[in-house]
Amino acid sequence: MRRRIFVLIALLALAVIALAACAPAPTPAHTPAPPTAAPAQPPSAPAPTTAPAPTSAPAPTTAPAPTTAPTAAPTTAAAATTSGYKVALVTDIGGIDDKSFNATAWKGVQDAMTKLGVQGKYLQSRQQTDYEKNILEFVQEGYPMIVTVGFLLGPATAKEALANPNVKFAIVDYSYPDCYPGAVVGKDCGSNNPIPNVRGLVFQTDQAAFLGGYLAAGMSKTGKVGTFGGLQLPTVTIYMTGFQSGVQYYNSKHNTNVQVLGWDSKTNKGLFTGTFTDPDKGKTAAQSLIDEGADVVLPVAGLTGNGAFTAAQQANVYAEGVDTDQCVSVPSACPVLLTSVEKNMDVAVFNSIQSAINGTFQGGTNYVGTLSNGGVGLAPFHNMDSKIPATLKTELDQVKADIISGKIPTGFATLK
Amino acid sequence: MAAVAQIGVRSETFSRARLLGAFYTVVGLAILFFFSRNTHVGELATLGLNTVQSVKAIQLPDIIVPVLPVTAILGALVTLLGVWQMVRGFRTTGWLLGVASSAFLVSFLVWAARGTSFSLIGILSASLQLATPILLGALSGVLCERSAVINIAIEGMMLGAAMTSVLVANLTGSLWLGFFAALAVGALLAAWHAVMSIQFKMDQIVSGTVINIFATGLTSFLNQRVMQVYQNLNNQVTFPLLSQVSPELGRIPILGPLFFDQSPIVWMALILLVVIQVALFNTRWGLRTRAVGEHPRAADTLGINVIRTRYINVILGGMVAGLGGAYFTLGSVGRFDKLMTNGRGFIALAAMIFGNWTPVGSFASSLIFGFADALQVKLQILSGQVNIPSDFLLMLPYIVTMIALAGVVGRVVPPAADGQPYEKQ
Repeated sequence: MRRRIFVLIALLALAVIALAACAPAPTPAHTPAPPTAAPAQPPSAPAPTTAPAPTSAPAPTTAPAPTTAPTAAPTTAAAATTSGYKVALVTDIGGIDDKSFNATAWKGVQDAMTKLGVQGKYLQSRQQTDYEKNILEFVQEGYPMIVTVGFLLGPATAKEALANPNVKFAIVDYSYPDCYPGAVVGKDCGSNNPIPNVRGLVFQTDQAAFLGGYLAAGMSKTGKVGTFGGLQLPTVTIYMTGFQSGVQYYNSKHNTNVQVLGWDSKTNKGLFTGTFTDPDKGKTAAQSLIDEGADVVLPVAGLTGNGAFTAAQQANVYAEGVDTDQCVSVPSACPVLLTSVEKNMDVAVFNSIQSAINGTFQGGTNYVGTLSNGGVGLAPFHNMDSKIPATLKTELDQVKADIISGKIPTGFATLK
Repeated sequence: MAAVAQIGVRSETFSRARLLGAFYTVVGLAILFFFSRNTHVGELATLGLNTVQSVKAIQLPDIIVPVLPVTAILGALVTLLGVWQMVRGFRTTGWLLGVASSAFLVSFLVWAARGTSFSLIGILSASLQLATPILLGALSGVLCERSAVINIAIEGMMLGAAMTSVLVANLTGSLWLGFFAALAVGALLAAWHAVMSIQFKMDQIVSGTVINIFATGLTSFLNQRVMQVYQNLNNQVTFPLLSQVSPELGRIPILGPLFFDQSPIVWMALILLVVIQVALFNTRWGLRTRAVGEHPRAADTLGINVIRTRYINVILGGMVAGLGGAYFTLGSVGRFDKLMTNGRGFIALAAMIFGNWTPVGSFASSLIFGFADALQVKLQILSGQVNIPSDFLLMLPYIVTMIALAGVVGRVVPPAADGQPYEKQ
């Protein structure tokens, strides 16, 4: 009996740990948090009866109620000078220091902090239930602009954006309308129409990954290259699909038969670790691919992927980074990295922030990063520069030009 | 037990032996049925005995077998054994389970590799790697709980040790200092746990939880504020593989890639396993530990210092957990990333319980878990052959461990005084 109780307590303790983990992390730029309803409620205003529910009231929407206080417009924050402009960012589960996905998006905010003088702040999501909570937190603190990072935040962002039309949102890796036939709005998807205060930032990453695949196929000696993902999400498989298409294109050009292990876009099946935060698992996944003969590995799995670089190092094979130039973000991986398939989220986030400050924010529309606008691309070869044959580099340039001109299809649906 | 006997009395025809026979017959038929599908006569499967990691090893020819005959023979064998067991009955039945599960596994592997190949040695080598941190965590648990102190803080100890090892190794430039720092942090956190739960008789679950939360928070904070800012503190630091130290070992076929393309920490874990198993059941220290865990009052009467024994065991357990933490960094990835232990400390506790609080049992359950985990990775790579969504394959280690251990182990018995603080009268 006693043992049962202990097991129960242990389970409870587990839950406690999980919950404790999602406590908001300390943030570098600490802005004095205004009391929840403060920007909307000047001290002199006769408090309307609906107002004094400070914790639950979404501040900006309830604001314009008292006509006696015309000076306290709800948009004061947005209209303020650049230096006072506040930008918030909500990460996906990988966290701000994943050295790839979230870190790159946060860099966009950091750039805005140094170049535009905005005040930036972020909250990390430890699990999927944090998304909405974190967004709401910033809405209540009166942030005029909120950047959400990641495909999985789509529904939560739509919900909060619709409820708070005065707050500008930019979401990385997602766009609206997102409802497919038969989907229930608010449950399966966010919105049937574009949301006027949201700018979607999506990336045609398959174009860059195509180049990565072409390069990998050109560098492979065993005739096998491998890839694996964190979770099977479209924003992950877009890399893997582009990679595979690139390899196949290389095969058709060179009459070779380089195989891709770990992903097949025909059957939509491949190798996934089920987590973005477990480098040790990433190492075993990469080893498994290497054991099957792969000598170039492309991990698309955030922190999990970092373990793949160690595996590549031990087996003396190549790897490719993702999201950002990982030769810079993970210096120890540099000796095995052919290149990185970059998705320049930082630039897109920075531009959205700048446009929000300039008043040119294009809500309701989406930005699509491509090879031609520089939104995606291959990172420099760094140490590998001398090892990659000049002919292969010339071919890559040609392939890039052909993708931009639309001559080569990259295998993934065109994003809008 | 009584219930089983009753069933035996109630019906002769459906005795336990007959049920067992029926079960194995079904398993045999399942092998025949499932693993003859989607294949054709003459199709071959290749199981590799070499890994790329050990290109320097002496190469062995791959095992190439025809799929249908293998699965047919194994399936028929298990069916026959099952029928025999049903009709006549074997005197002992333990070995039947071994034969049936191996036959099932081999047929499955051969079937999954039909028309293609995969590296068998790769799976086995990965199993050992994946089992190592779980084994170390479970050994830590065994040390603590055999002396009746529940330790759910293994996760936190591993996490703290993992971060410290990287920090110290980079600061001092010495891998071994990093290694010993990991042990020290494990011991320190364990000492804290010991003081709270033995001295102050605090609820051991709560004390463990406190340590877990503390370690999670502190490592995440330091990672963000220190290791992200000064990236030189998070440079890659790993022990060289044994095959890198002495290439002769790596050249041995099969054993080379399996045991010597591994981090020394894997070996330390295996050695610790033997040491703790022997010490626990064949030395004075072991006897005292078990006495303290089963009946502290009696042990005290006989002059054993219960409190001191528990302190020593908990701190030793903490050091073993620290070694487990060092595995993630010095033994595997070489860098610290926040929360990188990802719940292995809790899986280790489960492995310890399934292993009936013995080192060898814990090793068996961590190996089963590791093997299933390595297998599911391979199956995902072979997704063309095995038509199972990756989400389900990711559950495989957990499901296999539960089935295998529930079927084999049955009832487990914790140390009688487990979790109870000792009060001298």
